[in-house]
Amino acid sequence: MLKISNLHASVEDKVIIKGLNLEIKPGEVHAIMGPNGAGKSTLGYVLSGRDGYEVTEGQVTFNDQDLLDMEVEERARDGLFLAFQYPVEIPGVSNMEFMKESVNAMREQRGEEPLTAAAFLKKAKEACKQVQLPLDFLKRGVNEGFSGGEKKRNEIMQMILLEPSLCILDESDSGLDVDALQVVAEGVNSQRDNKRSFIVVTHYQRLLDYIKPDFVHILADGKIVKSGDASLALEVEKSGYAFLGQAYEEAQA
Amino acid sequence: MSQWLEQVIDNAKDVSDFLTPTRQASLAELKAQGWPGKRTENWRFTPLTSVSQRDAVKVANAGEAEVPVIENLDVFDIVFVDGQLITSIADIDLPEGLTLSTLDDVSGDDEQAVKALFGHIKPQRHTFGLINDALATQGVFIDVAANANIQPTIRICNLTTQAVDVHSRVLVRIGEGASVTVMEHGEGNADSLTTAFAEYSIADNGYLEHYRFALFTDKAKQVGGSHFRLGDHARLNSTVVGYGSELSRLDVDIIHAGEFADAKMNAIYLLAENELFDLHTNIEHAVPNCTSEENARGIIGDGARAVFNGRIHIHRDAQKTLAEMNNKNLLLSRRALINTKPELEIYADDVKCAHGATVAEIDDTALYYLLSRGISRSKALVILNFGFIQELVNEIPKAAIGTWLLPKLSTRFSQMEVK
Repeated sequence: MLKISNLHASVEDKVIIKGLNLEIKPGEVHAIMGPNGAGKSTLGYVLSGRDGYEVTEGQVTFNDQDLLDMEVEERARDGLFLAFQYPVEIPGVSNMEFMKESVNAMREQRGEEPLTAAAFLKKAKEACKQVQLPLDFLKRGVNEGFSGGEKKRNEIMQMILLEPSLCILDESDSGLDVDALQVVAEGVNSQRDNKRSFIVVTHYQRLLDYIKPDFVHILADGKIVKSGDASLALEVEKSGYAFLGQAYEEAQA
Repeated sequence: MSQWLEQVIDNAKDVSDFLTPTRQASLAELKAQGWPGKRTENWRFTPLTSVSQRDAVKVANAGEAEVPVIENLDVFDIVFVDGQLITSIADIDLPEGLTLSTLDDVSGDDEQAVKALFGHIKPQRHTFGLINDALATQGVFIDVAANANIQPTIRICNLTTQAVDVHSRVLVRIGEGASVTVMEHGEGNADSLTTAFAEYSIADNGYLEHYRFALFTDKAKQVGGSHFRLGDHARLNSTVVGYGSELSRLDVDIIHAGEFADAKMNAIYLLAENELFDLHTNIEHAVPNCTSEENARGIIGDGARAVFNGRIHIHRDAQKTLAEMNNKNLLLSRRALINTKPELEIYADDVKCAHGATVAEIDDTALYYLLSRGISRSKALVILNFGFIQELVNEIPKAAIGTWLLPKLSTRFSQMEVK
């Protein structure tokens, strides 16, 4: 489904990703952990196509297409979804209007008719309940005045509605209390099946208690330096990133 | 001096009625002030060339005009087409406490009330207001008795269909504890010139919900104003919507004359092509303990130009004043222009007064967020830019008016090109 080969990327001429390789097959859940500044969020932005994140070397194929050649909106319509670490507040645009536009953009891509307002409302209400947000959040401005936890749940609600094939969760657990963490994790788990894949970017092992990964990768200084199964996350939790040695020291410098 | 003004002064000689003393005084003031030029501060960014060499077209037969319908709005319409009243006011079934009359048909006590309003709330510095004083024989007097709560909206429509000069006047007296909604609605695109001025007196504890839809476009020029005087604990909630045209200028004066008065005004302007819209507002905090909040937001595309001048004057005795003013602009093209100027004069020392003006282009982070959800770039730009305006539309107290206005604005916006 996704194949990243020797990816190099920079932001404002600063090289952040330095030769990253990763392959993800349908239905797999990959966790990416790593110290601050390792390039975890940058990876999400590069994959989603954010302006200013320049790929200098390497390839990424997504469903056998050249991902790097596609516009941001094309990647989304082809099934790539990024749950933001810091979801953007857009006052004046209702959450409902925003999500209806995006759901219909996906439907258009699949050659389906746009949903009627009533049909969309029904779906949106279900998704809203699933992430345990009060229904009036649909009417409020996009993320406007939402708490950190509400914003993260709003991201998961969008993921549920958009039914992507590859979900990248960028620190969806940061700033959450245990209850909110469970809601987010349950939202994610409800979407797991043998076709949909996940990249779960996180600082803490805690989230992985709820979302069981098939693979855990340690990202440091722009590269994957170690891969393993779920037990790797526990190891990191116990002894930190000290085993990274020099690469870690450099990344922190 | 301009050709047009000379003709206007000449035409004013023929006007004679119970308001003549005020009309004469205004005419004298007009002659003293002369024609505003580039050096006149109030007109610095708004040239009057399209008016100065115009012929003053006095009278015309009303053309055919379609009166804009606001669905689901309980409304009394008073319609002027090309300056001619086409509504039979006598046929309106008025609720108790509401009196409507035309300026050429006021009687008895009302004459005194009209005299007390006419030219007494609108400041004398407005050149076109003085012209309107001299020439406006067509007009409406709305009288709301003390404690009357008038439900239907009273809408005064000024529609133009041809090359004509229209001078219309609205005078509103709101009694103590009374409440009413008044809408001034102007539309047209012919080579007309409309001076439409309104004066409102809101007595103690009175409430006015006010709308001014200045929707003239193309060659239809408008220069007008809405002027309010608020008594003790009086409240005003006003929404102004402006399109641009060859010349489009509005002056708003809000005078807090009684303590604990509260005024809120939201203004929206949406300009394209080579249109011009100029909004001058002035809030006079003359007494203590009053509040005012003003939000003006505009989207300017193509080679259009907007002018916003927001003055807040807090007099020496007006302690405990709370005044806020905000002007936000979004420019859609490199040629679009806004001249925005907050003008604060504060002579009291125990007040809160906040102001801000911003000029922005597109918010890239918000745009990326929408794109990352599969929304097309063009659609995302519309959603983002329009949200900025929609926030103010959502604050309109009457749902039917917001529901009518929103698609009207979004259609106009979708025809503007984002470059």
